[in-house]
Amino acid sequence: MIELTNVTKKFGNKIAVNNFSLHIEKGSLTMFIGPSGCGKTTTLRMINRLTPFDKGNIIVNDTPINDVNPVELRRNIGYVIQEIGLFPHLTVFENVAIVPRLLKWEQKKIERRIEEILELVTLNQSFAQKYPLQLSGGEKQRVGLARALAAEPEILLMDEPFGAIDPINRLKLQDSFLEIQEEIKKTIVFVTHDINEAIKLGDKIAIINEGNLIQYDNVSKILSDPANEFVENLLGQDRNIKALSLKKAKDYVLKDGFITVLDTESRESVEKKMKEKNIKIAFALDENNHLKSRFVLEKATETKKQKFIYNPAPWIIERQNNINEALSKMLEAGEKQLPVVNRKKEFVGIIKLSNIFEEVNKKTNIS
Amino acid sequence: MGFYISSRPNIAKYVINVASIMMTIPSLALYGVMVVAFAPFKLGLGIVPSVSAITIYSLLPITRNTYLALNQVKPEMIEAARGIGMSKNQILWKIKIPLSIPVIMSGIRIAVVMGVSVATYASLIAAGGLGYFIFAGIGRANLTMVLVGAILISALGIGVNYILLKVEDWITPKGLKVKR
Ligand SMILES: Nc1ncnc2c1ncn2[C@@H]1O[C@H](COP(=O)(O)OP(=O)(O)O)[C@@H](O)[C@H]1O
Ligand SMILES: [Mg+2]
Repeated sequence: MIELTNVTKKFGNKIAVNNFSLHIEKGSLTMFIGPSGCGKTTTLRMINRLTPFDKGNIIVNDTPINDVNPVELRRNIGYVIQEIGLFPHLTVFENVAIVPRLLKWEQKKIERRIEEILELVTLNQSFAQKYPLQLSGGEKQRVGLARALAAEPEILLMDEPFGAIDPINRLKLQDSFLEIQEEIKKTIVFVTHDINEAIKLGDKIAIINEGNLIQYDNVSKILSDPANEFVENLLGQDRNIKALSLKKAKDYVLKDGFITVLDTESRESVEKKMKEKNIKIAFALDENNHLKSRFVLEKATETKKQKFIYNPAPWIIERQNNINEALSKMLEAGEKQLPVVNRKKEFVGIIKLSNIFEEVNKKTNIS
Repeated sequence: MGFYISSRPNIAKYVINVASIMMTIPSLALYGVMVVAFAPFKLGLGIVPSVSAITIYSLLPITRNTYLALNQVKPEMIEAARGIGMSKNQILWKIKIPLSIPVIMSGIRIAVVMGVSVATYASLIAAGGLGYFIFAGIGRANLTMVLVGAILISALGIGVNYILLKVEDWITPKGLKVKR
Protein backbone atom coordinates (compact mmCIF):
# COMPACT_ATOMS: atom_id res chain seq x y z
CA MET A 1 0.00 0.00 0.00
CA ILE A 2 1.24 3.46 -0.93
CA GLU A 3 -0.24 6.68 0.41
CA LEU A 4 0.69 10.12 -0.85
CA THR A 5 -0.68 13.04 1.15
CA ASN A 6 -0.42 16.62 -0.12
CA VAL A 7 2.95 15.95 -1.69
CA THR A 8 4.62 18.89 -3.40
CA LYS A 9 7.91 19.03 -5.28
CA LYS A 10 9.58 22.09 -6.76
CA PHE A 11 12.65 22.30 -8.96
CA GLY A 12 13.78 25.87 -8.36
CA ASN A 13 10.65 27.92 -9.03
CA LYS A 14 9.03 25.26 -11.15
CA ILE A 15 6.35 23.20 -9.42
CA ALA A 16 6.81 19.66 -10.77
CA VAL A 17 4.26 18.00 -8.48
CA ASN A 18 1.54 20.10 -6.91
CA ASN A 19 -0.19 19.02 -3.70
CA PHE A 20 -0.70 15.43 -4.75
CA SER A 21 -2.84 13.03 -2.72
CA LEU A 22 -3.25 9.47 -3.87
CA HIS A 23 -4.03 6.15 -2.23
CA ILE A 24 -2.71 3.10 -4.05
CA GLU A 25 -4.22 -0.16 -2.90
CA LYS A 26 -2.25 -3.29 -2.20
CA GLY A 27 -2.16 -5.66 -5.16
CA SER A 28 -3.46 -3.13 -7.66
CA LEU A 29 -1.89 -1.95 -10.89
CA THR A 30 -2.07 1.84 -11.10
CA MET A 31 -1.16 3.67 -14.28
CA PHE A 32 0.21 7.24 -14.29
CA ILE A 33 -0.53 8.97 -17.56
CA GLY A 34 -0.18 12.54 -18.83
CA PRO A 35 1.80 14.69 -21.26
CA SER A 36 5.57 14.73 -21.18
CA GLY A 37 6.90 16.83 -18.30
CA CYS A 38 3.71 16.63 -16.23
CA GLY A 39 5.47 15.08 -13.25
CA LYS A 40 4.96 11.32 -13.65
CA THR A 41 8.60 10.34 -13.26
CA THR A 42 9.12 12.79 -10.41
CA THR A 43 6.17 11.30 -8.50
CA LEU A 44 7.43 7.76 -9.06
CA ARG A 45 10.96 8.63 -7.95
CA MET A 46 9.68 10.26 -4.79
CA ILE A 47 8.16 6.93 -3.74
CA ASN A 48 11.59 5.24 -3.54
CA ARG A 49 13.35 8.40 -2.39
CA LEU A 50 15.41 8.89 -5.53
CA THR A 51 13.91 12.39 -5.53
CA PRO A 52 13.28 14.12 -2.19
CA PHE A 53 9.95 15.94 -1.82
CA ASP A 54 9.41 19.39 -0.32
CA LYS A 55 6.06 19.11 1.41
CA GLY A 56 3.55 16.46 2.41
CA ASN A 57 4.04 12.84 3.35
CA ILE A 58 4.48 9.49 1.66
CA ILE A 59 3.69 6.28 3.50
CA VAL A 60 4.69 2.87 2.22
CA ASN A 61 3.36 -0.14 4.15
CA ASP A 62 2.36 1.97 7.15
CA THR A 63 5.77 3.65 7.54
CA PRO A 64 6.60 7.19 6.41
CA ILE A 65 9.38 6.69 3.86
CA ASN A 66 11.48 9.46 5.34
CA ASP A 67 11.87 7.27 8.45
CA VAL A 68 13.47 4.50 6.40
CA ASN A 69 17.05 4.41 5.15
CA PRO A 70 16.73 5.07 1.40
CA VAL A 71 19.04 2.21 0.41
CA GLU A 72 17.01 -0.24 2.54
CA LEU A 73 13.76 1.17 1.20
CA ARG A 74 14.84 0.65 -2.42
CA ARG A 75 15.85 -2.96 -1.83
CA ASN A 76 12.23 -3.63 -0.95
CA ILE A 77 10.76 -1.80 -3.92
CA GLY A 78 11.34 -3.12 -7.43
CA TYR A 79 12.28 -0.45 -9.97
CA VAL A 80 12.22 -0.72 -13.76
CA ILE A 81 13.18 2.10 -16.12
CA GLN A 82 12.76 2.56 -19.86
CA GLU A 83 16.49 2.21 -20.51
CA ILE A 84 16.36 -0.92 -18.31
CA GLY A 85 19.96 -0.34 -17.18
CA LEU A 86 21.16 -3.94 -17.17
CA PHE A 87 24.83 -4.06 -16.20
CA PRO A 88 26.74 -5.22 -19.30
CA HIS A 89 29.68 -6.70 -17.37
CA LEU A 90 27.38 -9.08 -15.47
CA THR A 91 25.53 -12.13 -16.79
CA VAL A 92 21.76 -12.30 -16.70
CA PHE A 93 22.09 -14.46 -13.59
CA GLU A 94 24.34 -11.94 -11.85
CA ASN A 95 22.14 -9.03 -12.85
CA VAL A 96 19.06 -10.70 -11.44
CA ALA A 97 20.94 -11.86 -8.33
CA ILE A 98 22.07 -8.36 -7.32
CA VAL A 99 19.35 -7.50 -4.85
CA PRO A 100 19.17 -10.99 -3.27
CA ARG A 101 22.95 -10.75 -2.80
CA LEU A 102 22.68 -7.27 -1.30
CA LEU A 103 20.13 -8.79 1.09
CA LYS A 104 22.62 -11.57 1.87
CA TRP A 105 20.49 -14.49 0.73
CA GLU A 106 22.09 -17.91 0.71
CA GLN A 107 23.59 -18.99 -2.63
CA LYS A 108 21.26 -22.03 -2.89
CA LYS A 109 18.21 -19.89 -2.31
CA ILE A 110 19.40 -17.37 -4.92
CA GLU A 111 19.89 -20.11 -7.50
CA ARG A 112 16.44 -21.51 -6.88
CA ARG A 113 14.87 -18.06 -7.04
CA ILE A 114 16.53 -17.19 -10.33
CA GLU A 115 15.38 -20.38 -11.94
CA GLU A 116 11.86 -19.60 -10.78
CA ILE A 117 11.93 -15.96 -11.87
CA LEU A 118 13.27 -16.74 -15.37
CA GLU A 119 10.44 -19.21 -15.72
CA LEU A 120 8.00 -16.52 -14.62
CA VAL A 121 9.14 -14.03 -17.26
CA THR A 122 9.25 -16.88 -19.82
CA LEU A 123 12.97 -16.83 -20.46
CA ASN A 124 14.65 -20.14 -21.10
CA GLN A 125 17.11 -21.18 -18.35
CA SER A 126 19.97 -20.96 -20.86
CA PHE A 127 19.66 -17.17 -20.69
CA ALA A 128 21.14 -17.17 -17.19
CA GLN A 129 24.70 -17.29 -18.52
CA LYS A 130 24.21 -14.79 -21.35
CA TYR A 131 25.36 -11.18 -21.22
CA PRO A 132 23.04 -8.20 -21.78
CA LEU A 133 24.77 -7.32 -25.08
CA GLN A 134 23.59 -10.69 -26.41
CA LEU A 135 19.90 -10.00 -25.78
CA SER A 136 17.13 -8.43 -27.88
CA GLY A 137 15.18 -5.43 -26.58
CA GLY A 138 12.26 -7.55 -25.43
CA GLU A 139 14.52 -10.07 -23.70
CA LYS A 140 16.36 -7.26 -21.91
CA GLN A 141 13.07 -5.88 -20.68
CA ARG A 142 12.11 -9.32 -19.32
CA VAL A 143 15.44 -9.54 -17.51
CA GLY A 144 14.87 -6.01 -16.16
CA LEU A 145 11.53 -7.14 -14.77
CA ALA A 146 13.10 -10.31 -13.36
CA ARG A 147 15.78 -8.25 -11.63
CA ALA A 148 13.18 -5.95 -10.11
CA LEU A 149 11.14 -8.91 -8.84
CA ALA A 150 14.02 -11.12 -7.73
CA ALA A 151 13.95 -10.31 -4.03
CA GLU A 152 10.15 -10.53 -3.93
CA PRO A 153 9.41 -6.88 -3.24
CA GLU A 154 5.78 -6.12 -2.50
CA ILE A 155 5.89 -2.98 -4.61
CA LEU A 156 7.05 -2.44 -8.16
CA LEU A 157 7.68 0.97 -9.76
CA MET A 158 7.91 0.99 -13.56
CA ASP A 159 8.78 4.08 -15.60
CA GLU A 160 7.68 3.65 -19.23
CA PRO A 161 9.17 0.16 -19.27
CA PHE A 162 7.94 -0.68 -22.76
CA GLY A 163 8.44 2.80 -24.23
CA ALA A 164 11.47 1.90 -26.33
CA ILE A 165 10.14 -1.43 -27.64
CA ASP A 166 8.67 -1.74 -31.15
CA PRO A 167 4.84 -1.89 -31.27
CA ILE A 168 4.50 -5.59 -32.03
CA ASN A 169 6.82 -6.70 -29.25
CA ARG A 170 5.29 -4.13 -26.94
CA LEU A 171 1.89 -5.81 -27.30
CA LYS A 172 3.48 -9.19 -26.52
CA LEU A 173 5.27 -7.81 -23.47
CA GLN A 174 2.04 -6.24 -22.25
CA ASP A 175 0.21 -9.56 -22.60
CA SER A 176 2.79 -11.51 -20.69
CA PHE A 177 3.18 -8.73 -18.11
CA LEU A 178 -0.56 -8.95 -17.37
CA GLU A 179 -0.35 -12.70 -16.93
CA ILE A 180 2.61 -12.30 -14.61
CA GLN A 181 0.73 -9.74 -12.54
CA GLU A 182 -2.27 -12.08 -12.41
CA GLU A 183 0.09 -14.59 -10.82
CA ILE A 184 2.11 -12.35 -8.46
CA LYS A 185 -0.44 -9.67 -7.51
CA LYS A 186 2.09 -6.97 -6.64
CA THR A 187 1.30 -3.36 -5.90
CA ILE A 188 2.47 -1.74 -9.12
CA VAL A 189 2.80 1.87 -10.20
CA PHE A 190 3.33 2.02 -13.94
CA VAL A 191 4.13 5.23 -15.84
CA THR A 192 3.12 5.47 -19.49
CA HIS A 193 2.27 8.13 -22.05
CA ASP A 194 0.28 5.67 -24.17
CA ILE A 195 -3.43 5.82 -23.37
CA ASN A 196 -4.06 2.41 -24.95
CA GLU A 197 -1.41 0.88 -22.72
CA ALA A 198 -2.96 2.58 -19.69
CA ILE A 199 -6.40 1.20 -20.53
CA LYS A 200 -5.14 -2.25 -21.37
CA LEU A 201 -2.98 -2.76 -18.30
CA GLY A 202 -4.42 -0.65 -15.52
CA ASP A 203 -6.80 -1.47 -12.71
CA LYS A 204 -6.81 2.22 -11.97
CA ILE A 205 -5.54 5.23 -13.90
CA ALA A 206 -4.17 8.47 -12.45
CA ILE A 207 -4.38 11.24 -15.02
CA ILE A 208 -1.85 14.00 -14.44
CA ASN A 209 -1.41 17.40 -16.06
CA GLU A 210 1.15 20.08 -15.17
CA GLY A 211 1.82 18.56 -11.79
CA ASN A 212 -1.84 18.25 -10.84
CA LEU A 213 -3.78 15.04 -10.36
CA ILE A 214 -6.78 15.47 -12.67
CA GLN A 215 -8.63 12.20 -12.20
CA TYR A 216 -7.91 8.97 -10.36
CA ASP A 217 -10.37 6.16 -10.90
CA ASN A 218 -11.07 2.68 -12.17
CA VAL A 219 -10.42 2.39 -15.88
CA SER A 220 -14.05 1.74 -16.78
CA LYS A 221 -15.14 4.72 -14.70
CA ILE A 222 -12.66 7.00 -16.45
CA LEU A 223 -13.86 5.83 -19.85
CA SER A 224 -17.54 6.22 -19.02
CA ASP A 225 -17.18 9.36 -16.94
CA PRO A 226 -14.21 11.56 -17.83
CA ALA A 227 -13.72 14.34 -15.27
CA ASN A 228 -13.20 17.16 -17.76
CA GLU A 229 -12.28 18.12 -21.29
CA PHE A 230 -8.60 17.37 -20.73
CA VAL A 231 -9.41 13.75 -19.91
CA GLU A 232 -11.84 13.50 -22.84
CA ASN A 233 -9.14 14.71 -25.21
CA LEU A 234 -6.64 12.32 -23.75
CA LEU A 235 -9.03 9.41 -24.26
CA GLY A 236 -9.65 10.44 -27.86
CA GLN A 237 -12.67 10.09 -30.12
CA ASP A 238 -13.13 6.36 -29.91
CA ARG A 239 -13.95 5.99 -26.24
CA ASN A 240 -16.53 3.28 -26.87
CA ILE A 241 -14.12 1.16 -28.82
CA LYS A 242 -11.55 1.68 -26.08
CA ALA A 243 -14.11 0.61 -23.50
CA LEU A 244 -14.48 -2.54 -25.53
CA SER A 245 -10.78 -3.16 -25.15
CA LEU A 246 -11.28 -3.62 -21.39
CA LYS A 247 -12.71 -7.02 -22.26
CA LYS A 248 -10.05 -9.66 -22.62
CA ALA A 249 -9.94 -12.80 -24.69
CA LYS A 250 -9.63 -14.78 -21.45
CA ASP A 251 -13.20 -13.73 -20.53
CA TYR A 252 -14.52 -15.52 -23.62
CA VAL A 253 -12.50 -18.70 -23.67
CA LEU A 254 -14.63 -21.76 -24.41
CA LYS A 255 -13.62 -25.24 -23.34
CA ASP A 256 -15.90 -27.18 -25.70
CA GLY A 257 -16.76 -27.45 -29.38
CA PHE A 258 -13.36 -28.94 -30.20
CA ILE A 259 -11.17 -31.88 -29.25
CA THR A 260 -7.47 -32.04 -28.51
CA VAL A 261 -5.17 -34.81 -29.65
CA LEU A 262 -1.48 -35.55 -29.22
CA ASP A 263 0.66 -34.25 -32.06
CA THR A 264 2.05 -37.76 -32.50
CA GLU A 265 -1.34 -39.12 -33.50
CA SER A 266 -1.83 -40.06 -37.15
CA ARG A 267 -4.12 -37.96 -39.32
CA GLU A 268 -6.35 -40.90 -40.08
CA SER A 269 -6.96 -41.58 -36.44
CA VAL A 270 -7.70 -37.88 -35.78
CA GLU A 271 -10.14 -37.79 -38.68
CA LYS A 272 -11.89 -40.89 -37.41
CA LYS A 273 -12.24 -39.49 -33.90
CA MET A 274 -13.66 -36.23 -35.20
CA LYS A 275 -16.25 -37.99 -37.32
CA GLU A 276 -17.24 -40.26 -34.47
CA LYS A 277 -17.77 -37.34 -32.09
CA ASN A 278 -19.17 -35.11 -34.82
CA ILE A 279 -16.65 -32.35 -34.01
CA LYS A 280 -15.43 -29.94 -36.67
CA ILE A 281 -12.14 -28.81 -35.07
CA ALA A 282 -9.26 -30.60 -33.40
CA PHE A 283 -6.02 -29.19 -31.97
CA ALA A 284 -2.82 -31.19 -31.79
CA LEU A 285 -0.74 -30.50 -28.66
CA ASP A 286 2.68 -31.74 -27.65
CA GLU A 287 3.45 -33.17 -24.20
CA ASN A 288 3.88 -29.62 -22.82
CA ASN A 289 0.42 -28.60 -23.97
CA HIS A 290 1.95 -26.39 -26.67
CA LEU A 291 -0.29 -25.95 -29.68
CA LYS A 292 1.28 -27.55 -32.75
CA SER A 293 -1.37 -27.78 -35.45
CA ARG A 294 -5.04 -27.76 -36.23
CA PHE A 295 -7.41 -30.09 -38.08
CA VAL A 296 -10.65 -28.95 -39.64
CA LEU A 297 -13.41 -31.12 -40.94
CA GLU A 298 -15.33 -29.07 -43.50
CA LYS A 299 -19.03 -29.56 -44.11
CA ALA A 300 -19.99 -31.55 -47.15
CA THR A 301 -22.03 -29.62 -49.70
CA GLU A 302 -24.10 -30.85 -52.62
CA THR A 303 -21.23 -30.42 -55.02
CA LYS A 304 -18.27 -31.22 -52.76
CA LYS A 305 -17.72 -34.08 -50.46
CA GLN A 306 -16.45 -33.58 -46.93
CA LYS A 307 -12.88 -32.24 -46.75
CA PHE A 308 -10.33 -32.88 -44.02
CA ILE A 309 -7.82 -30.04 -43.65
CA TYR A 310 -4.48 -30.09 -41.83
CA ASN A 311 -3.17 -26.72 -40.74
CA PRO A 312 0.39 -26.78 -39.37
CA ALA A 313 0.66 -23.20 -38.06
CA PRO A 314 -2.74 -21.95 -36.99
CA TRP A 315 -3.41 -18.35 -35.94
CA ILE A 316 -3.49 -17.96 -32.19
CA ILE A 317 -4.87 -15.47 -29.71
CA GLU A 318 -3.24 -14.73 -26.37
CA ARG A 319 -5.37 -14.91 -23.25
CA GLN A 320 -4.54 -11.29 -22.43
CA ASN A 321 -5.38 -9.94 -25.89
CA ASN A 322 -8.29 -7.58 -25.58
CA ILE A 323 -11.24 -8.29 -27.78
CA ASN A 324 -10.30 -5.58 -30.29
CA GLU A 325 -7.05 -7.43 -30.88
CA ALA A 326 -8.84 -10.77 -30.98
CA LEU A 327 -11.38 -9.40 -33.43
CA SER A 328 -8.78 -8.01 -35.81
CA LYS A 329 -6.85 -11.28 -35.76
CA MET A 330 -9.99 -13.21 -36.63
CA LEU A 331 -10.84 -10.87 -39.47
CA GLU A 332 -7.31 -11.04 -40.79
CA ALA A 333 -7.24 -14.82 -40.55
CA GLY A 334 -10.75 -15.10 -41.98
CA GLU A 335 -11.74 -17.51 -39.21
CA LYS A 336 -14.86 -17.73 -37.07
CA GLN A 337 -12.95 -19.20 -34.16
CA LEU A 338 -9.33 -19.26 -33.06
CA PRO A 339 -7.36 -21.10 -30.39
CA VAL A 340 -6.22 -19.23 -27.26
CA VAL A 341 -2.88 -19.72 -25.48
CA ASN A 342 -1.31 -18.32 -22.32
CA ARG A 343 2.11 -16.63 -22.09
CA LYS A 344 3.82 -20.02 -21.88
CA LYS A 345 2.16 -20.87 -25.20
CA GLU A 346 0.03 -23.51 -23.52
CA PHE A 347 -3.33 -24.12 -25.16
CA VAL A 348 -6.25 -22.99 -23.00
CA GLY A 349 -9.31 -23.15 -25.28
CA ILE A 350 -10.98 -21.35 -28.18
CA ILE A 351 -12.69 -18.05 -28.73
CA LYS A 352 -15.62 -17.54 -31.13
CA LEU A 353 -16.36 -14.55 -33.31
CA SER A 354 -20.06 -14.76 -32.45
CA ASN A 355 -19.32 -14.20 -28.75
CA ILE A 356 -17.31 -11.10 -29.52
CA PHE A 357 -20.09 -9.71 -31.69
CA GLU A 358 -22.52 -10.18 -28.82
CA GLU A 359 -20.27 -8.01 -26.67
CA VAL A 360 -19.98 -5.36 -29.39
CA ASN A 361 -23.75 -5.36 -29.71
CA LYS A 362 -24.18 -4.77 -26.00
CA LYS A 363 -21.86 -1.76 -26.15
CA THR A 364 -23.43 -0.20 -29.20
CA ASN A 365 -26.88 -0.56 -27.68
CA ILE A 366 -25.82 1.48 -24.69
CA SER A 367 -24.31 4.38 -26.58
CA MET B 1 43.38 9.75 -7.13
CA GLY B 2 41.18 9.29 -10.20
CA PHE B 3 38.68 7.32 -8.11
CA TYR B 4 38.71 9.97 -5.43
CA ILE B 5 37.99 12.93 -7.68
CA SER B 6 35.47 11.07 -9.85
CA SER B 7 32.65 11.87 -7.46
CA ARG B 8 33.94 15.32 -6.50
CA PRO B 9 33.51 17.50 -9.59
CA ASN B 10 34.79 20.68 -7.90
CA ILE B 11 38.15 19.26 -6.96
CA ALA B 12 38.26 17.27 -10.18
CA LYS B 13 38.15 20.43 -12.30
CA TYR B 14 41.39 21.71 -10.72
CA VAL B 15 43.19 18.39 -10.74
CA ILE B 16 42.38 17.78 -14.39
CA ASN B 17 43.40 21.30 -15.37
CA VAL B 18 46.69 21.06 -13.52
CA ALA B 19 47.27 17.63 -15.03
CA SER B 20 46.62 18.92 -18.52
CA ILE B 21 48.99 21.87 -18.08
CA MET B 22 51.72 19.69 -16.67
CA MET B 23 51.47 17.37 -19.64
CA THR B 24 52.25 20.23 -22.00
CA ILE B 25 55.55 20.99 -20.24
CA PRO B 26 58.31 19.53 -22.41
CA SER B 27 59.78 16.53 -20.68
CA LEU B 28 63.29 17.94 -20.85
CA ALA B 29 62.15 21.06 -19.02
CA LEU B 30 60.56 18.93 -16.33
CA TYR B 31 63.90 17.25 -15.76
CA GLY B 32 65.41 20.67 -15.40
CA VAL B 33 62.85 21.61 -12.80
CA MET B 34 63.44 18.37 -10.93
CA VAL B 35 67.18 18.81 -10.94
CA VAL B 36 66.81 22.29 -9.49
CA ALA B 37 64.19 21.15 -7.00
CA PHE B 38 66.28 18.29 -5.70
CA ALA B 39 69.60 20.12 -5.79
CA PRO B 40 69.36 21.48 -2.22
CA PHE B 41 69.20 17.89 -0.96
CA LYS B 42 72.30 16.97 -2.89
CA LEU B 43 70.14 14.74 -5.07
CA GLY B 44 70.18 17.03 -8.09
CA LEU B 45 71.53 14.48 -10.52
CA GLY B 46 70.99 10.79 -11.06
CA ILE B 47 68.16 8.44 -10.26
CA VAL B 48 66.01 10.45 -7.86
CA PRO B 49 65.03 13.42 -10.07
CA SER B 50 64.58 11.25 -13.13
CA VAL B 51 62.31 8.76 -11.38
CA SER B 52 60.30 11.65 -9.95
CA ALA B 53 59.92 13.24 -13.36
CA ILE B 54 58.80 9.99 -14.94
CA THR B 55 56.38 9.34 -12.10
CA ILE B 56 54.77 12.76 -12.38
CA TYR B 57 54.62 12.47 -16.12
CA SER B 58 52.89 9.10 -16.10
CA LEU B 59 50.53 9.76 -13.21
CA LEU B 60 48.86 12.51 -15.14
CA PRO B 61 47.35 10.48 -17.97
CA ILE B 62 46.37 7.76 -15.52
CA THR B 63 44.55 10.20 -13.27
CA ARG B 64 42.89 11.94 -16.16
CA ASN B 65 41.73 8.76 -17.87
CA THR B 66 40.51 7.23 -14.64
CA TYR B 67 38.48 10.32 -13.93
CA LEU B 68 37.06 10.47 -17.43
CA ALA B 69 36.37 6.72 -17.46
CA LEU B 70 34.37 6.77 -14.25
CA ASN B 71 32.33 9.70 -15.46
CA GLN B 72 31.52 8.25 -18.87
CA VAL B 73 29.55 5.40 -17.28
CA LYS B 74 26.04 5.80 -18.69
CA PRO B 75 23.61 7.65 -16.38
CA GLU B 76 21.00 4.90 -16.71
CA MET B 77 23.48 2.44 -15.16
CA ILE B 78 23.81 4.68 -12.12
CA GLU B 79 20.07 5.30 -12.01
CA ALA B 80 19.32 1.57 -12.13
CA ALA B 81 21.98 0.81 -9.52
CA ARG B 82 20.63 3.45 -7.15
CA GLY B 83 17.06 2.41 -7.85
CA ILE B 84 17.63 -1.19 -6.78
CA GLY B 85 19.30 -0.11 -3.56
CA MET B 86 23.07 -0.12 -4.06
CA SER B 87 25.06 2.21 -1.82
CA LYS B 88 27.51 4.80 -3.22
CA ASN B 89 30.46 2.54 -2.49
CA GLN B 90 28.82 -0.50 -4.05
CA ILE B 91 28.05 1.51 -7.16
CA LEU B 92 31.70 2.61 -7.42
CA TRP B 93 33.24 -0.83 -6.88
CA LYS B 94 30.68 -3.13 -8.50
CA ILE B 95 29.46 -0.99 -11.37
CA LYS B 96 31.59 2.04 -12.22
CA ILE B 97 35.06 0.52 -11.91
CA PRO B 98 34.39 -2.71 -13.82
CA LEU B 99 32.70 -0.73 -16.58
CA SER B 100 35.66 1.68 -16.76
CA ILE B 101 38.46 -0.85 -16.94
CA PRO B 102 39.07 -0.54 -20.69
CA VAL B 103 39.49 3.24 -20.51
CA ILE B 104 41.51 3.18 -17.27
CA MET B 105 43.81 0.56 -18.74
CA SER B 106 44.40 2.55 -21.90
CA GLY B 107 45.43 5.47 -19.66
CA ILE B 108 47.93 3.23 -17.92
CA ARG B 109 49.24 2.02 -21.25
CA ILE B 110 49.76 5.55 -22.56
CA ALA B 111 51.47 6.47 -19.31
CA VAL B 112 53.91 3.58 -19.42
CA VAL B 113 54.81 4.07 -23.07
CA MET B 114 55.29 7.76 -22.43
CA GLY B 115 57.41 6.89 -19.41
CA VAL B 116 59.66 4.81 -21.62
CA SER B 117 60.25 7.68 -24.02
CA VAL B 118 60.66 10.24 -21.28
CA ALA B 119 63.18 7.96 -19.60
CA THR B 120 65.40 8.48 -22.61
CA TYR B 121 66.35 11.90 -21.34
CA ALA B 122 67.28 10.51 -17.97
CA SER B 123 70.80 9.88 -19.19
CA LEU B 124 71.23 13.62 -19.55
CA ILE B 125 71.08 14.02 -15.81
CA ALA B 126 73.44 11.16 -15.19
CA ALA B 127 70.88 8.48 -14.50
CA GLY B 128 72.13 6.20 -17.27
CA GLY B 129 69.73 3.97 -19.19
CA LEU B 130 69.21 3.26 -22.87
CA GLY B 131 69.08 6.98 -23.59
CA TYR B 132 72.79 6.99 -22.95
CA PHE B 133 73.42 5.31 -26.31
CA ILE B 134 71.50 7.98 -28.17
CA PHE B 135 73.05 11.01 -26.56
CA ALA B 136 76.53 9.53 -26.39
CA GLY B 137 76.11 8.51 -30.04
CA ILE B 138 75.04 12.01 -31.07
CA GLY B 139 78.00 13.42 -29.16
CA ARG B 140 80.43 11.22 -31.01
CA ALA B 141 78.60 11.42 -34.34
CA ASN B 142 78.27 7.65 -34.19
CA LEU B 143 75.14 6.76 -36.15
CA THR B 144 75.24 3.08 -35.26
CA MET B 145 75.17 3.86 -31.56
CA VAL B 146 72.23 6.26 -32.00
CA LEU B 147 70.34 3.67 -34.04
CA VAL B 148 70.96 0.89 -31.56
CA GLY B 149 69.68 3.11 -28.77
CA ALA B 150 66.61 4.22 -30.72
CA ILE B 151 65.74 0.69 -31.81
CA LEU B 152 66.15 -0.72 -28.31
CA ILE B 153 63.95 2.01 -26.85
CA SER B 154 61.26 1.50 -29.49
CA ALA B 155 61.36 -2.24 -28.92
CA LEU B 156 60.98 -1.71 -25.21
CA GLY B 157 58.00 0.62 -25.78
CA ILE B 158 56.30 -1.74 -28.19
CA GLY B 159 56.95 -4.75 -25.96
CA VAL B 160 55.57 -3.08 -22.87
CA ASN B 161 52.55 -1.84 -24.78
CA TYR B 162 51.87 -5.36 -26.05
CA ILE B 163 52.08 -6.88 -22.60
CA LEU B 164 49.74 -4.24 -21.20
CA LEU B 165 47.26 -4.85 -24.02
CA LYS B 166 47.20 -8.50 -22.98
CA VAL B 167 46.64 -7.50 -19.35
CA GLU B 168 43.86 -5.17 -20.42
CA ASP B 169 42.16 -7.92 -22.37
CA TRP B 170 42.55 -10.25 -19.43
CA ILE B 171 40.99 -7.98 -16.80
CA THR B 172 38.22 -6.51 -18.98
CA PRO B 173 34.93 -8.13 -17.92
CA LYS B 174 33.82 -10.74 -20.43
CA GLY B 175 30.39 -9.20 -20.83
CA LEU B 176 31.94 -6.07 -22.34
CA LYS B 177 33.63 -8.08 -25.08
CA VAL B 178 30.87 -10.44 -26.23
CA LYS B 179 29.51 -10.19 -29.74
CA ARG B 180 25.85 -10.79 -30.53
N1 LIG C 1 16.35 17.04 -11.80
C1 LIG C 1 15.55 18.01 -12.27
N2 LIG C 1 15.93 19.30 -12.22
C2 LIG C 1 15.13 20.29 -12.67
N3 LIG C 1 13.92 20.08 -13.20
C3 LIG C 1 13.47 18.83 -13.29
C4 LIG C 1 14.26 17.73 -12.83
N4 LIG C 1 13.57 16.58 -13.04
C5 LIG C 1 12.40 16.95 -13.60
N5 LIG C 1 12.33 18.29 -13.75
C6 LIG C 1 11.18 19.04 -14.31
O1 LIG C 1 10.02 18.65 -13.61
C7 LIG C 1 8.91 18.49 -14.50
C8 LIG C 1 8.37 17.10 -14.40
O2 LIG C 1 9.30 16.17 -14.93
P1 LIG C 1 9.04 14.61 -15.02
O3 LIG C 1 8.50 14.14 -13.72
O4 LIG C 1 10.30 13.99 -15.48
O5 LIG C 1 7.93 14.53 -16.13
P2 LIG C 1 7.32 13.26 -16.90
O6 LIG C 1 7.96 12.02 -16.36
O7 LIG C 1 5.86 13.32 -16.63
O8 LIG C 1 7.62 13.46 -18.34
C9 LIG C 1 9.44 18.85 -15.86
O9 LIG C 1 9.10 20.19 -16.14
C10 LIG C 1 10.92 18.69 -15.75
O10 LIG C 1 11.59 19.57 -16.62
MG1 LIG D 1 9.18 10.56 -17.40
